[in-house]
This record gives sequence, C-alpha cells and structure tokens, in this order.
Amino acid sequence: MLWYKSWLDTRWRFLIPLAILVLNIWGLIFEYPHVATLLRTVHLEPDALSESGVLGRAIVESVAAERTYRGYIWFQWFRQNLSQMGTLFAVLLGSGSLLSGSSGAGTMFTLSLPASRNQWLGARVAVGLGESLVLALIPSLGISLVSPLIGQQYGIADAVVHATCFFAVGSVFFSLAFLLSTVFTDTWRPLLIACGVAVVLSLCESRFDLNGLFRVMSASTYFAAGSIPWIGLLISTVMSAAMLYGASLNVARRDF
Amino acid sequence: MAEALVIETANLRKVYGGVEAVRGLNLQVPAASIFALLGRNGAGKTSTIKILLGMSRPTSGHVSVFGLAADSPDASVAIRRRTGFVSEEKDLYDSMTVEQIIRFTATFYPKWRNDLEQGYFRSFGLPRGRRVKDLSRGMRTKLALLLAFSCGAELLVLDEPTSGLDPAATEEVLHALIAHVASQEMTVFLSSHRLSDVDQVADRIAILDRGRAVVSGALDDLREAYRRVQLVFDGDAPEPSFRAPGVVHAERRGRVLSVLCSRDVKQLLDEVRALNAVSVDVMRVTLKEIFLETVNGEN
Repeated sequence: MLWYKSWLDTRWRFLIPLAILVLNIWGLIFEYPHVATLLRTVHLEPDALSESGVLGRAIVESVAAERTYRGYIWFQWFRQNLSQMGTLFAVLLGSGSLLSGSSGAGTMFTLSLPASRNQWLGARVAVGLGESLVLALIPSLGISLVSPLIGQQYGIADAVVHATCFFAVGSVFFSLAFLLSTVFTDTWRPLLIACGVAVVLSLCESRFDLNGLFRVMSASTYFAAGSIPWIGLLISTVMSAAMLYGASLNVARRDF
Repeated sequence: MAEALVIETANLRKVYGGVEAVRGLNLQVPAASIFALLGRNGAGKTSTIKILLGMSRPTSGHVSVFGLAADSPDASVAIRRRTGFVSEEKDLYDSMTVEQIIRFTATFYPKWRNDLEQGYFRSFGLPRGRRVKDLSRGMRTKLALLLAFSCGAELLVLDEPTSGLDPAATEEVLHALIAHVASQEMTVFLSSHRLSDVDQVADRIAILDRGRAVVSGALDDLREAYRRVQLVFDGDAPEPSFRAPGVVHAERRGRVLSVLCSRDVKQLLDEVRALNAVSVDVMRVTLKEIFLETVNGEN
C-alpha cells in the first residue's frame, strides 16, 4: 500500500510526460523522410562553420550525425529531446517528497500510520525511479517498433543502452530534487534549483566541451564508437545513492 | 498493585528553535482511562502528542507508550500499530475517496476490525464514493474517527477531536467516542481546550500551561479537592496572604476576597477565621474555574 500511495502522488507527473514523450518520438520518426530529403540538398563548409564557434560546431555535428537514420534518432531524440525533457520530468518526479509539506494534505496522517519513515521514502524512491525508467524505455523501445513503418530499422540494443544511460543520469536529477524536497517545505524551490543546476551543467558542458553528465546521458561514446560510458554511469549511480541517503538522513532527523 | 501505565513521560522537554514548547512534562496515563490534556493554544498539547507518536523527537527526558520508548524509530512503529490517531486538522488524503482511504488504512493494521468499520460506516452515514476533499468538516471528523476506531487500537490519541464542529456534530462525535470506549477495552488520550467536552468524557486530566503540567489527577478527585472560599468583609478585604498549603489563586475585589484552594480546605478555613470576615462561604468549583484560575494564576 505504500507503493499505491506513492503511485497516487506521482501518477500525473508520470502519465502526462509519458504521453508527451511518446507523441514526440512518434513525430520525430515520421518527420525523418522529410529531413532526409532536405539533408541531401545541404552542402556545408565544415571548417568555416567550426571556426564560427559553438553554434557552428553544433550545426556541423547535427548535419553530420543526421545523415543516417541512427544518427538522426540519436541526435534529435537521445541527445536533445529526451535529454532536455527527460531531465525536467525526472526533476518533477523527484520533487515533493512524500513527507515534505509540498506533498500537501495528509502528512500527519501518513506519519501516524505504522510504517517507518524509511519505508515511506523507499517506496517513494522506488516508484519514482521506476516511472523514470519507464519514461526512458517505453518511448525509446517504441522507436524500434515504429521505425519499420517508414522503412527504417532501429536496433533494440541501441534503444536499451541509450535509455539506460538516460535513466542513470536522469536519476541524479531525480535524486537532487528528492534531496532538496527534504530540505525545503515548498514545491517550487526544489524544482527550480534542480532545473537550474541541470541548465548550468549543460551550458558548462557545451561551452567548455566537457565530458560531463549530459554526455553520459546521451551516450555519445556509444553512438560514435560503441563503447558504453561505464565510468560515467558508475559516477551517476554513486551520486544518486549519496543524495538519496542524504534525503533519508534529513527525513529521519526531521520534526513534523 | 500499581496501575498499569499506557503512557508515561518524565521531565520531557521539547525545544523548537529556542522556544521551549514542552518544559519538564511528567504524565502518567493509566490503562483503560480517558485522559484529557487541557491547555490553551500553544500550551504544548500537540507537541506532546507528536512526541508520543514519533513525529517529533524530544529534546530531553523520557517518554514511553506501552512501555516502549517513543523516541526510538522502530519502537515508534510498534506503538503506532497499536494506536489510533485523529489529528487536529483531520488530516487525511484529499484525493482518495472514502472507500479508498478506508481500504488503504486497513492494510496497515493487522487487527483491523471489519465489524466496527461496517458499523461506524452505517451509523456515521459516510458517502462511500465521495472524495475526502469534498467532505464537510463534520463528515471528515467522522471518517477520521472511523479509521481510528476500526484499526483495533488499544490506545486512541485524539488531538482536539471536536475543533471546528458545530454543537450538534460535537455531541454526535462525543457520544460516538463514549460508546466506543464503553464497548472496547481501551485507553483514550485526548487534547482539548473545550472544557465542556472534557467534562463530559474524561476521567483524568492534566492542565498544561506553557509546556508543563500545572494540575494533574482524576477529575472526580480534583472536583472533590478544589474549593472556592469566598470571604466578605465589612470594609475593604485585606491583602491576601496565606500560609495554608494548596492556595492556587486569591483575588480581592472591594469587600470580597475569593480564594481557590486545591487541597485541605480545612487548614485554609482555620487561617481565614482570624481575618474576621462577616461571612465565609465554601463552594464547589467547576472544571472551567479550575482551569482558568490555574492557568491565570500561573501567568
């Protein structure tokens, strides 16, 4: 029943993003024939564009990647849309911890039931991470299923690896929002701070060409060379675990 | 043989950010009693209840419920398994329906009583399919009571159970409480600042003022022990100053001197005889008078 309560608390923050992501990937797949036609007419001067700075390099990278269907899916979906929207959705799922004031009415009732605070938090984390995994996997696996409709193929293994990398790094932002929700009693501060951290990290990575969390999230090394970013995944997992542990300590010592 | 205690606190203190909400509270709640914690708003009633249920940790002191340390997280779960709770705000899950929250709550309690649930469901006339957020204050209180009554609890903790209710709903809730306690062997610990409610249901009380118990005992004993001695003089009443023990409060108004005594009124009467009052009346006092005089006296 702890699971049921966690599900009730988060279901709309899960179902609406799931619908958005499914519609988004559906649109991307059916857009591909037009993009492919357009790209055949594009002739770039990569050296000149690369010298023009971050934007130029992005255009070169985008066009180079999108000349194949696998590259198009990686760039448009795993690197851009899923990374950006998925991070926001992970933060949404993590914010408003079960025992924070932000979860609204019912905190006193929850605390009066014979279940420990760790049991409540454990159920909430498990449900939130489970939903986050589904948000990563279902739309990504949908690519493999729907692609034949436009005469393309996309490997299930590719979808699973990319979705797993997204999930691992998305969990960092989920855990950050979860930790912040045990510090602040309102909904908005954890949400805004976690989103702010994600934006700053993303800007720093792209400005200084760093090998950061978002590169691990998009699994660029797997796309380019077939190598899974194990170290990045490990670091992400450790970061998530540390933040969730911090959240449990916060809740354990908190007075309600 | 000593009475079995369900709740016991000794020198219990709770400090919130420099404010002492509970100051050295000593309580003893015997099994099968209806114990009322009385006090004004901010006296420390809810803080005490939160400590008993493990929602808040004491700063110092000892607190046990069913002989288990309430400040231990594991013991606290065991305590809550044997306790039904109704919060002051009747805090429930607004998004659930009445039926859903009953089924949800039932899964937490191994001794859930389906017979009581069905009985109270009918007698309270709760709408099964309505969302909790759409219930009136009275219905919400009844639902909270149904959950607390049906969980097979040995202890009921009720924080201001009748707050916000109209007189008719208050009566209904109190009757339900009395009937439930009469039919089940259990202890009730309730907090209130509505003295008429307490007078109606409690057999033991403690009056809390600024975090500590200033009066505690069986309600009948207190009623028996407390007396008001009213002295009328020919001229202005003298400045009150008594050596007799148990003088809670003395007030001079023109020719009248009114003294509230908590014990051994005979000794006080011996003393006031020397004041040569033209009349001396000894009167019984109500719980309201005990409460007001004690709290005002303390302040």
